[in-house]
Amino acid sequence: MFVARSIAADHKDLIHDVSFDFHGRRMATCSSDQSVKVWDKSESGDWHCTASWKTHSGSVWRVTWAHPEFGQVLASCSFDRTAAVWEEIVGESNDKLRGQSHWVKRTTLVDSRTSVTDVKFAPKHMGLMLATCSADGVVRIYEAPDVMNLSQWSLQHEISCKLSCSCISWNPSSSRAHSPMIAVGSDDNSPNVSAKVQIYEYNENTRKELTSSGGPTKFEIHIVAQFDNHNSQVWRVSWNITGTVLASSGDDGCVRLWKANYMDNWKCTGILKGNGSPVNGSSSQQGISNASLGSNNPNLQNSLNGSSASRKHS
Amino acid sequence: MSGSKPDILWAPHQLDRFVVCDSELSLYQVEPAGGSELKAGSLRLSEDTAATLLSINSETPYMKCVAWYLSYDPECLLAVGQANGRVVLTSLGQDHGSRCKELIGKEFVPKHARQCNTLAWNPLDSSWLAAGLDKHRADFSVLIWDICSRYSPEAAVAPEKLRLSAGEPDAGVVVTKPLYELGQNDACLSLCWLPRDQKLLLAGMHRNLAIFDLRNTSQKMFVNTKAVQGVMVDPHFQDRVASFYEGQVAIWDLRKFEKPVLTLTEQPKPLTKVAWCPTRTGLLATLTRDSDIIRLYDMQHTPTPIADETEPTIIERSVQPCDNYIASFAWHPTSQNRMIVVTPNRAMSDFTVFERISLAWSPVTSLMWACGRHLYECTEEGGDPAADKDIATKMRLRALSRYGLDTEQVWRNHVLAGNEDPQLKSLWYTLYFMKQYTEDLDPKSPGHKGSLVYAGIKTIVKSSLGMAETGSRHPWSGAPEKPGEGPSLSEERILALQLCGWINKGTDVDVGPFLSSLVQEGEWERAAAVALFNLDIRRAIQILNEGASSEKGDLNLNVVAMALSGYTDEKNSLWREMCSTLRLQLSDPYLCVMFAFLTSEPGSYDGVLYESKVAVRDRVAFACKFLSDAQLNRYIEKLTNEMKEAGNLEGILLTGLTKDGVDLMESYVDRTGDVQTASYCMLQGSPLDVLKDERVQYWIENYRNLLDAWRFWHKRAEFDIHRSKLDPSSKPLAQVFVSCNFCGKSISYSCSAVPHQGRGFSQYGVSGSPTKSKVTSCPGCRKPLPRCALCLINMGTPVSSCPGGSKSDEKVDLSKDKKLAQFNNWFTWCHNCRHGGHAGHMLSWFRDHAECPVSACSCKCMQLDTTGNLVPAETLQP
Repeated sequence: MFVARSIAADHKDLIHDVSFDFHGRRMATCSSDQSVKVWDKSESGDWHCTASWKTHSGSVWRVTWAHPEFGQVLASCSFDRTAAVWEEIVGESNDKLRGQSHWVKRTTLVDSRTSVTDVKFAPKHMGLMLATCSADGVVRIYEAPDVMNLSQWSLQHEISCKLSCSCISWNPSSSRAHSPMIAVGSDDNSPNVSAKVQIYEYNENTRKELTSSGGPTKFEIHIVAQFDNHNSQVWRVSWNITGTVLASSGDDGCVRLWKANYMDNWKCTGILKGNGSPVNGSSSQQGISNASLGSNNPNLQNSLNGSSASRKHS
Repeated sequence: MSGSKPDILWAPHQLDRFVVCDSELSLYQVEPAGGSELKAGSLRLSEDTAATLLSINSETPYMKCVAWYLSYDPECLLAVGQANGRVVLTSLGQDHGSRCKELIGKEFVPKHARQCNTLAWNPLDSSWLAAGLDKHRADFSVLIWDICSRYSPEAAVAPEKLRLSAGEPDAGVVVTKPLYELGQNDACLSLCWLPRDQKLLLAGMHRNLAIFDLRNTSQKMFVNTKAVQGVMVDPHFQDRVASFYEGQVAIWDLRKFEKPVLTLTEQPKPLTKVAWCPTRTGLLATLTRDSDIIRLYDMQHTPTPIADETEPTIIERSVQPCDNYIASFAWHPTSQNRMIVVTPNRAMSDFTVFERISLAWSPVTSLMWACGRHLYECTEEGGDPAADKDIATKMRLRALSRYGLDTEQVWRNHVLAGNEDPQLKSLWYTLYFMKQYTEDLDPKSPGHKGSLVYAGIKTIVKSSLGMAETGSRHPWSGAPEKPGEGPSLSEERILALQLCGWINKGTDVDVGPFLSSLVQEGEWERAAAVALFNLDIRRAIQILNEGASSEKGDLNLNVVAMALSGYTDEKNSLWREMCSTLRLQLSDPYLCVMFAFLTSEPGSYDGVLYESKVAVRDRVAFACKFLSDAQLNRYIEKLTNEMKEAGNLEGILLTGLTKDGVDLMESYVDRTGDVQTASYCMLQGSPLDVLKDERVQYWIENYRNLLDAWRFWHKRAEFDIHRSKLDPSSKPLAQVFVSCNFCGKSISYSCSAVPHQGRGFSQYGVSGSPTKSKVTSCPGCRKPLPRCALCLINMGTPVSSCPGGSKSDEKVDLSKDKKLAQFNNWFTWCHNCRHGGHAGHMLSWFRDHAECPVSACSCKCMQLDTTGNLVPAETLQP
């Protein structure tokens, strides 16, 4: 079903994040080499690096695109305790000829006292909003009141999660029927912490972010499926556009694709090794049969990307 | 290497070789081994590697520690530290022609015998070997030997002789005078040379870490600590050192040696090995006793001499290379993140520690992931076409084929969807019948049924409850009369049958056309069943015969027809008995229900009604024909709930496009994620209050969003047009008004901009279509409109052709395509520099220019909006 091909990324160190823009024609990558690269897809489907610049003074953990209606805007976050917002500007014409684009830093968000581990733009109907989370467990929500001026960001909310946060995700609902929510995942590895995924909902009446973590308080949270096939820690999960295929990567160095059948049974439909080579089915299922070890908290990265699922009213 | 616990070492130069040492030294070579077959004598290390034993050396008993000679030549030269403190050079090489042959067998003996704990070759001067020994009152514990020293000609008599005597340890050259002696009256547990200088040696002594400078052996720098075992310099930061004690690892910065820069979380069991990864910065692997996991610490911390404010981030990971306890491990010197582990019973496994793979889906279902420094992309497109595609791909392909937009022949939409899903087929036929019926209704008669049609059979049946039964009984043709079959058909039931597709419009209850269409499509069994349910056994038999004789027909149909013809009404006949037992073996559900029907008691048709493989529309039609009002109502109610729960689109026939239908669609969308079908279905004729349902709005919004993300902007626009037909409120307001610079009034002539304003433009005294207008002044104040930046003529004049830069082929295009020519008249301007003109002129200017045509304006108008430069995806598709 899936065939992988390699792209010459030319990053000098580990690539930490890959992110597509709304149309899937542009891509951004970030790396421990402290740089961010922007890639454009040509008509023939090849990816060309059109910008590469040093963004932070530490490993860049995540990079994310704003909705194109706000312009070509990126946000990055780093170990250097900052998050930054970048905008592409129309550069000199010879830049354009060389196929290079020019990105300028519009703002640096310096509120965090520790490494900023994730950054995400809110769904577009909320305006230009940005959420960051940091290793000391603080989620911060910023807003640019004037979408034409990306250098003005005001800190709207600060939520303390009390746990080291590793990833955040907005609910993608594009309708106003659901209040905005943020899911926060923690990489805390102590076994006695239960709520490693917390959901915060914005309450219009009190103008505050309400919390619901793990337990069945306001949201009914139940496990639909549980996958043990990675036999180890799971690093990243990502939904496709409809929320019907889930991709996961884990400590076994494989990328797995999951799909539910009509009975709501989630099945693994494809396994690919991290280096792109296909896994021959028989041997991949061998290996270590016992369950996961260590702190096995699947990151909630990029999850809830899907836009289709109709939600039951809670 | 205490006891028999094996240790393992990669060769520093021959990268496919490693040594396992316990009581003897065994040299292995790693080979690729794909597939399941292994060469004889080789051991499987991983899925695609295996090891072959090259040689075994058991000449050196009481081994305590081993270190591999760092220089390339001679190959496989190892220094072995023994329990009596002797250090022996030994070899596993097969290359006997080596010029350093004489080194093999050399022994270095301390003055007082005690255990040798550690060995370290100097990385800069390959002949220096440091040995760390246990404490002795009158002796030094760190001895540095020069393996080339005391090399006397008489010792290396002749290479042949040496080789002959290699088996006897005493025959080698014995060296007793070390180059340097350090650490008197102390014990040395671990050693490593500092890459900064050839003469700096870091030693883990009894209770301190000490840096010896061989240039001045009287001085040493030391720090008191318990963490003195396994000192090792980070190969990527030469000032960073790791050491451990019990379960704790300490990381030191040699530039501020007073205390560890950080200590890692303590392990419950004592550590046995700690090693920096040679291929990756800041990755430290640790192993504890009796454990099957290797713990990895990824230090995201750039050591700087001053900044201690940045707290290092450590990502901790555990990997489990094999099922067993691990005795020791070794990083591969060059292969990225590769290590080999050995268990106490000498099972080995080759293992690669993977970097965190981050991944992301693009909107067009291609998956991108990053593994280490590499990027990989994989797409679903172009794969096996037979493979079941995900709904995201299906929806995209369906959008391209204009799925949902055929509003005349509504049933054709299922063909556009790929003609593969029976539920979609049923849905679109249902919607087709509903539409047909509403159109056939006499628009003059204010009948109540019009509103009922899109409300589904459930509502229709409910409305007929309690009404007087009218209608006529139908004679049972071709067979003895079967009494009491079905109540008479009320108007509502006929309507329901029409919606099921059994009968056509009008009050004439004739299934003939339906049967012939089924026969035409080759659905023999279904046609026969429908004929039978209309009490026409003769027709049923005839259809079955036809089916059997047709090209693709099943000959068994003749047998079925034969069985059918034997129908008898007698309760205890053999026929009846056989049919009721054998019918369960029929694979076709329609054949099955035919016999169920014939053998059933009057009034109880559960065998037909609850045969889930029979299409819902047929079951409902059957129920309408044969059930009493109360029964029918109950049955429909039950079936509706079943369909709603399952999200089965066939159920739309029952629920119609009502709130119930939305419930059903909700579970369908929950199950499939197909917002496309949901949106189009609901836009087919739902009443406004259903359309305003939050969920419906949500599907529609999401589908529009999907189309936008796929850059199917034309499809999205078509969808919006389709939507606004049913829901006028969804029409967006006019987005742009141009107001006169002088009077401030809108200069728009167009009707399209006005409806929401609620007033016409007649007050301006302008009429006719906007393109024909020749007015070049504001309709309000009669002042002239702005001039086009290129032709310098006031806006409002029609464009003849593009002056100057126009090419001949463009002219042809313009004259051919009138619509495009009219578009050229449009007034357009840049929002940034506010210069503009005729759209046609502007476009032709920017074909060759990047900057604005107005003099001294350097605005790059066309490049300002990146999205504007994207091409809609539909135009790229073949």
